[in-house]
Order: sequence, then C-alpha cells, then structure tokens
Amino acid sequence: MSEQIFTLPDLGEGLEEAEVVRWLVAEGDQVRLNQPLVEVLTAKTNVEIPSPFEGVVRKFHAGEGEVVPVGGNLVTFELGAATEEAPKVLVGYGVKTDASAAKRRPRLRPPDPVGAAPSGRPQPATGQPEGTQSLDERIPVRGTRRIIAQHMTASWTQIPHVTSFLTLDATELEAFRRELAANTTTQRAAVSPLPVVVRALVEVCREFPKLNSSFSAETEEIILKRVYHVGIAAETDDGLLVPVIRDVDAKGIMTIAREIAEVVAAARERRATPHQLTGSTITVTNTGTFGAEFGTPIINAPEAAILALGVIEPRALIVDGEIQIRPATTLSLSFDHRVLDGAEAGRAFLALRDLLMDRERLRSLPRD
Amino acid sequence: MTGVAEATEPFRIVAPDGRANERLVHRLGLDDDRLRQLYRFLRLARGADREAAALQLQGHLAVYGPLLGQEAAQVGSAFALGEEDFVFPAYRELGVALVRGLDLVRYLYGWKGILHGSSPDPRSDRFALNTVPVSSHILHAVGWAMGARLDRKRACAIAYFGDGATSEGDFHEGCNFASVFQAPVIFFCQNNQYAISVPLRRQTGAPIHRKAEAYGFPGVWVDGNDVLAVYHVTREAVERARSDYTPTLIEAMTYRVDPHSTADDPSRYRTREEEASWQRLDPIERYRRFLTATGLADEAFFEQVEEETQQLASTIRAGVTSLQPGPMSDLLDNVFAEMPATLASQRDEAISLAGAERESSEPAAR
Amino acid sequence: MPEITMVQALNSALRHCLREDDRVLVYGEDVGKLGGVFRVTDGLQAEFGEERVFDTPLAESAIVGTAVGLALAGWRPVPEIQFNAFAYPALNQIISHVAKYRSRSAGGVDMSIVIRMPTGGGIGAAEHHSESPESLFAHTAGLKIAAPSSPLDAFSLLVNAIHAPDPVIFMEPTIRYWSKESGELRTDGLPLGVARILRHGSHCTLIAWGSSVARCLEAAEAAEEDGVELEVLDLRTLVPLDLETLIGSVRKTGRAVVVQEAPLTAGFGAEIVARIMEEAFDALHAPAMRVAGYDIPYPPAMLEEQYLPSLERILVAADRVLRY
Repeated sequence: MSEQIFTLPDLGEGLEEAEVVRWLVAEGDQVRLNQPLVEVLTAKTNVEIPSPFEGVVRKFHAGEGEVVPVGGNLVTFELGAATEEAPKVLVGYGVKTDASAAKRRPRLRPPDPVGAAPSGRPQPATGQPEGTQSLDERIPVRGTRRIIAQHMTASWTQIPHVTSFLTLDATELEAFRRELAANTTTQRAAVSPLPVVVRALVEVCREFPKLNSSFSAETEEIILKRVYHVGIAAETDDGLLVPVIRDVDAKGIMTIAREIAEVVAAARERRATPHQLTGSTITVTNTGTFGAEFGTPIINAPEAAILALGVIEPRALIVDGEIQIRPATTLSLSFDHRVLDGAEAGRAFLALRDLLMDRERLRSLPRD
Repeated sequence: MTGVAEATEPFRIVAPDGRANERLVHRLGLDDDRLRQLYRFLRLARGADREAAALQLQGHLAVYGPLLGQEAAQVGSAFALGEEDFVFPAYRELGVALVRGLDLVRYLYGWKGILHGSSPDPRSDRFALNTVPVSSHILHAVGWAMGARLDRKRACAIAYFGDGATSEGDFHEGCNFASVFQAPVIFFCQNNQYAISVPLRRQTGAPIHRKAEAYGFPGVWVDGNDVLAVYHVTREAVERARSDYTPTLIEAMTYRVDPHSTADDPSRYRTREEEASWQRLDPIERYRRFLTATGLADEAFFEQVEEETQQLASTIRAGVTSLQPGPMSDLLDNVFAEMPATLASQRDEAISLAGAERESSEPAAR
Repeated sequence: MPEITMVQALNSALRHCLREDDRVLVYGEDVGKLGGVFRVTDGLQAEFGEERVFDTPLAESAIVGTAVGLALAGWRPVPEIQFNAFAYPALNQIISHVAKYRSRSAGGVDMSIVIRMPTGGGIGAAEHHSESPESLFAHTAGLKIAAPSSPLDAFSLLVNAIHAPDPVIFMEPTIRYWSKESGELRTDGLPLGVARILRHGSHCTLIAWGSSVARCLEAAEAAEEDGVELEVLDLRTLVPLDLETLIGSVRKTGRAVVVQEAPLTAGFGAEIVARIMEEAFDALHAPAMRVAGYDIPYPPAMLEEQYLPSLERILVAADRVLRY
C-alpha cells in the first residue's frame, strides 16, 4: 500500500487557482485510471479532471465550493502495490512556493563605504587594472585582518585624535616591581610594568572619568562608564587583537598580571572567546615590547583614550639640577578631543605619571 | 454566394449508419486486411488522443490540442501516403503521426514541454515539426514540394491545417506559389467548423474547397468523418501530385468534439444540440458498423483492437510520466551550428546555476 | 476595498472607453463571443453589440492592417493579437504602416490604435506563446509601448493608451493576468511615459517592467533581510522612457540592475544601460548590469524556470554590483 497525493495542475496557461465544483467520486471509492474524478471551475472554464491513478480515494483535501491554489493538494489516493516515487507532475508556473529555495538564495552584504582607488576611479573587483605590471605582490585582506582594518579605519576617521607625551622617571616603578617579584611565592607571574600601569591607570580614571568614556555621535553624548574593563593590545598572527581584563578596579596587580598573560595567550592561540575580546572601556598598549620609545596609538573605538607604554631603558634625566642616568620611558596618551580638551587630558596624564613615580602610592594599590 | 455552382454534399462512401456504396469501396483497391487496418488505426488514434488529453488534465503534459472526432480525416489521408511523401502538420495531427509510424511519446515531447518539436529528425520521419503559428507551415510544404520536383522525385508533400488557417496570408501565398511552380503538394484542410470560438461562417465568405479555383487547381469536398472517402480523395490527390505535379486542395468536413484546449469553454459559443448532432456522425462508430455489416470484422477483432488500444495508452502514459527534461545547456548548444562567444558565456552561467540547483535540491546528508 | 485581477481591470478599462467614446472598436480572434482566451473582453460584445466588439478571421496581418484603414475612417481601433508571437505575421503592417503613417503624412494622420497582446512567459504554454518582443517595437520609431505590471496600473495605462493620439503597443504580462490588487480604478492615474518607484532603497536600483517587476520586489524583500536596500523601479512605459525618474534613481543609488525576460542581446535592457552610461556615468559605483533570458528561442515549458530571471540570478547580479 502506498499513498499518493494528487495536486491541482495548471489547466490553462498561468492560472493560479480553481474552485472545486463537484466531486464525482466519494471517499473510500475504488476508482479506475482516468475515471472522472472531480469537476473544477477555473477562471476560464469548467473542467472535468480524470483520475490520475487506479486505487482507492482516501481523502479529499478540499470540499465543494473551496478554492485550491495550483499546486495545492486535491486528494490522497491509496494505491495497490507499492509504487515508485510519484512522477513529478507539471503543476504550472504562475504560483511557486518553494520555501527551501528561498533559504538557499544568495546572501548579500551592504556595500563598503565608497573609496576611490589611487587613480580616483573605482577599480574592478577582480583582475588587475589595465597597464599595471605583474611584479607587484597582492595580499588579499580577509577574515580577522579585514575586520581589524575596517575597525581602525573607523576609529581613525571618526575620532579626532590628539596624542600627548610625558617622560616617566621609572625609578620608583622599577623598585616597586622588584618588591613585587621578591614577594611572590607560589605565583610565577612575570611582573612586567604593564599590570602595574594598568592598575594605576584605572585609579586615575576614577578621578578623571572622561578617560574611561565614550563619545556617542548619534545621541551627541559623552557616556561615562562606571565599569573599568581594560583592553590589552596584543600582537598576534592574525594582527592586532585587544583581549580584555574585566573589572580591573576590583582586582589586584598580580591577578591582573596573570589574567593578562592568560588572555593574551588565548588570543595568540586563537582560542579567545568573543567575551574575552570585547567590552573594553579603555585600552593600554605596550609598545615597549617591540622597542619603540613612544608612539601615536590609535584609540580603540568607541573608547575615548588609549595609553601606550614605551620601553623602559636608561636615559639621561635632569634630577635636582644634575644629569643622572635613570630608568625612564615615555608614556603616550591619545585621547578623543571631543571628550577631553588639552588641559583636562594634561591633568589626568600628570596624575598618572605622579602615581607611577610614587612608591608609597604604588604600594597602596591592591596587590593580589 | 450567387453565380457559384456548388456541390450540395461532400463526397462520401460510407453513410453514418454504416451502409456503403459497394462499388466505390471495391474501387478503392483495399484488401480485407487493409480495410480492417484502417479501423485499427482509427481506434488507436482515438485511444492515444484520449490518453494524451487525460495526461494533460492530470498535469503530465503542459498543453495538448485534442483531435477527438477528427480521426477519420487524419487516418484516412495518412493511409493514402507513400513512404517517400512528406507530412507538414499543424499541431493537432497525432492521428497522422500514428499512421506514419512516429514514436508517439517522442511526438508528445513538445506538448510535455521537454523539447520543442515532435522529432529531432524531421527528414527521416518524413514529418515536419509541429507549427503553432497558424498556416506558416503551408509555405514549408510548398517549398519542399518545389524541391522534390527539382529532384524529379515521385513524391508529394501534404500540409494539414484547419479552417482558420485559410484566412491567413500564408495559405493564399502557398496556394499561389504551388500553382505557379506546379509543386506536388496536397493542401489538406480539416474543417472542424471552429477556430477556437470563431465558427466557419465568420471565418470565410466562400466554401474552402472552392478557393482552389482561384488558384487554378482542383478543390475537393469530402466527408471528413468517412475514413474510406478521405482515403479515396487523398489517394487521387497523391497520384495527381506525383504524376502531374498538380496541387489539390481537400476540404474534409469534420468536427472538433473537444474544446480547443483545456483552457477553452465551448459552452460560450456553441450549443449542446450541435455537439450532439455531430456525435451521431462519429467516424469510428460509423466504420465499425460498416465492417460488421459487411462481415469484414467480428467481435474477436474488435476486442483485440481494444486490447491493443489499452496497451498503447499504457505505453504512452508510462513514457510521458517518466519524461524528464534534459539540461538547459542543451538548448544553448542547439541555437547555432557554431556557437558565438557571447552565447558560450551564457552557457557557462546556465550550467553553473543548474548545478547549484541540483546540489541544493539533493537531500541533506544525515 | 475589493480585490481586482488584472483581467478584470483591463476589462473595466475597455468597458469604460467603449462607453465613453462611440468610435472605439474592440476586435480580434475570439474576443467577441468567447470574451477572449483570457476573458479580458468578457461581456463586452453583449453590452456593446457585434458592430463594436467583434471576432475576426484568423489573420493577424489583416487585423492590424484593417486597423490602419479604420483609423483613416475615423474610428479608434483597439485590436487584440491573441499571443505575443502571433504579432509576427502583422509586423509588416505594424512597422511599415502603423508606426509610419503620421510621419509620412507630415503629421496629418493620427494612428490612434492600441494593439493589445499578452506578453511574456512563465505560464507553461506551447511554443510561440511566451515571447517578449518589446525590442522589435522599441526599435521602430513611431510606436509607443506600455508595459503595466499590476492591475490598477493596467487600468490607467490602458485608458490612457486608448486616449492617446499615437499608436500604442500594449504589452500585458500574461503571468500577472490573475494577480490581484485592491484599490480604486482611476482614469487619471499615472499616464504613459511616467515610471514609478515601487520600493525605495539606497544601495542599488532594480529596473524592470511587466512580468519582471514582481520578481524584483521579491528580491528586494529578500535583500532587506541581509541589510541591503534595493530600490525597485517599474518603468511602466518603454517608449517614451521616463529618463528623469530612471536617472534620478540611479544617481541616488549609484548602482543599477535591469531585469528582463527577453533574451539578453539587443534587448530593451541594453537601451536602458546605454542611457544610464550617458546620463549618470559619474554617479555610478559599478557598471549597470542586466539579468535577462539567454540568447535562445523561448524554451519548452519544463525548462522555462531555468531560463527566466530568477530570484537567485537577480540577487547574484545585485551582489556583483554591490561588491564592485
């Protein structure tokens, strides 16, 4: 026994439906092939449809007077022997409902912001512009790099950047670090300057909340964040990623150091979760790790500030009127000039430097 | 129509009640087997036609133009053709295709919507492609006949068309050319009384068979529902064409019992009485009575023909329902003998789109 | 508001014009007693009589040729060609006479004729029933071409066309005959020569007419899910072409895709693309593209879906111009 459903064909060049006028058999009847089955009324005429199968009429799917769309179910037959899959019946072409086809359709993306190629004319999507030599190497920018590139472009073009520089005498900072290292027993976290600077920065943000804010162009507001999630810029094979240490204000320096190590490793090994890579309210970048003295860091939009920590190395500084060799570095602070003006930024920056030069105050930061 | 002498009745051999003019039957030169064969073809033509009509109503054919009632006109005339003769159909000549030995499933490809045309090789079938633009094939028949004459062949062309076609310019140009060039062609009009809804009296102001006079060749009026009469006049026309290079216009009076197509509603333009009066003149009933009355056929024969008809219907059904179209790229391949580059690139697109369809329509792996 | 099909809208337009003007004649094969093979002329002969609404013999050249003569005799003929491809026997009359009479008479003679024909495919029909021959007519100076896409519009355009002093080829999208729309039938609706933006969008303009408009609207719906805004422009009239609306839209979006059922080469889309190049080149972010039928005779019924511009092909073209 097998069941076959007979659907309404298109009986006249683009018809969309027909009305069942009269069933010429009853449910349960045994019918012959081509026996008059049902009379339907189309927009053009009455048509008597002969039975497409020999078998038993199991169930009508439309009553007399009901309108059935072309392709809609008319009647289910029960056929004697198990038949092969019912041959595909021409149903008509005016009305097509193929939900699965809709799901398979090509997906679109909104166009990229229009930018001209160096020549000023849009370049073709594929292939080389005419006349160029093929000595150039072309590296496609895809995936993460592409997203980073887009993000940086947005930051740079939407936020008016100003960068300030301050020389930091790191004598006290280095001494503090040695104290920390000496005091670690069970933990083996490397105590680089970075976690100290991160914790110190958050202290300063409490006093100068605009450092830890965001400018909203749509609503024309400065949103002061009440949480302190610090992004740590990290170089990876996929490009610059910014894993995040959450709630730095509630954490001690050692914890921060450990977490920095963990999330940066995760980012480099491509196992960082989206949660670990998003949500920062201010960012720190350790340009010292690749030897730069100072730089002009790009703000991690939609934040309002980014601090770059340069390499700490011996420099000649003027201390008490004399030239002395001291460990020193340059701190670079880029800020959103819509949020902070120069004086405000300067005061915040000096506050940070003062903190980092004061061993007593460093000792009072939460340590664990 | 003053000043025009006309026959009052079309030529007939077998009357509707089955009684026949014995002398005329004898002159046909058909032996008993061939006389029975005619019945067989009539019955098979109807069976094949009914099956095709049912298949269309069941959604297995996109369109179909039925020939119900016109079997004798088609079978009788086709039976009179020789192997070398060439048929130019309009689009309703399944009966002619049957007699000429065409594969009927292949013939129905066009109606199914698989491929245009009834055959990939009209030349070997001696059967041209169906032509939807009415009357346009008449010129083709004349051209073929002109070509056959240049080759000094003893063969003729026959163009089948309806009463409506005689209003088209191509019919008149064809008749005129045939006359001027003395082309061996038969113009066979199945006058089934209607062109969709337009009745004969609104189609033409003069009897169709009389139009031949204007072109200088014989016009013959025949009872299209009398298979022997149709056979007779067609055979004469075949001889006339082959021997004398003279065309003939045959007007076979018949009736389109079914609607023009399933989209048509005859109740809007003709009466049930009219339809019933023509059903009394049914060609198959009439011929069966003749065979029975003359003892040429018995019940056993008729039963055997019924069985054969059932089988043919089943074969057509099985063939048509299992037909699937070939790839779209085939259509692009067959536009030119040498494909232009612009078409080649479209072909690539068609193939890749069809491939994507196929992939995504396959059931997902479990 | 009740729903009305395009067939009913066209029927109403013919009825309106037959009532309003004694000189209007409606004729062709099967239009009288039967009411037309698509019922567009249903009931008209009963209301207006056999002299004004009548059946003709099967002869398209004569149908159009006699329209020329009727126009000269002061009538306003609205002949029907039963299916698009059956216009071909009448091309000599259309191109040599209907199109040229005014010009050849230095403006002295109006050929106020509207030649109606079902156009386009997707209806599972026999050969020669599914053509889109608008290019042939567009290329013939002196002919106007209307291509409605929806019922209410079909009404206004047909009334407008019958009123026009110039000959109009009125191309009715067969596949949309049974489509429904609710609203008021207006004799003062948008006239010939005015295009209409059916859907606004900023990323790309889809340009279509007749049967392809619905498919473009589907594409725009789908694209919206992806955050892409496709503007859909219904040309409504091919000749005269509403350049202002067309160019305005393309300037706004900077991207254009023309969708046509007719085969690609030398189709009306080529004309549109040329105009866009001439008038809006500086505003383009990508070349204007066409989605069209392949350069083959219209395919058999079981293959026509693969031939007609599908939702997928329209989106693929949109993607190309968006990514350019």
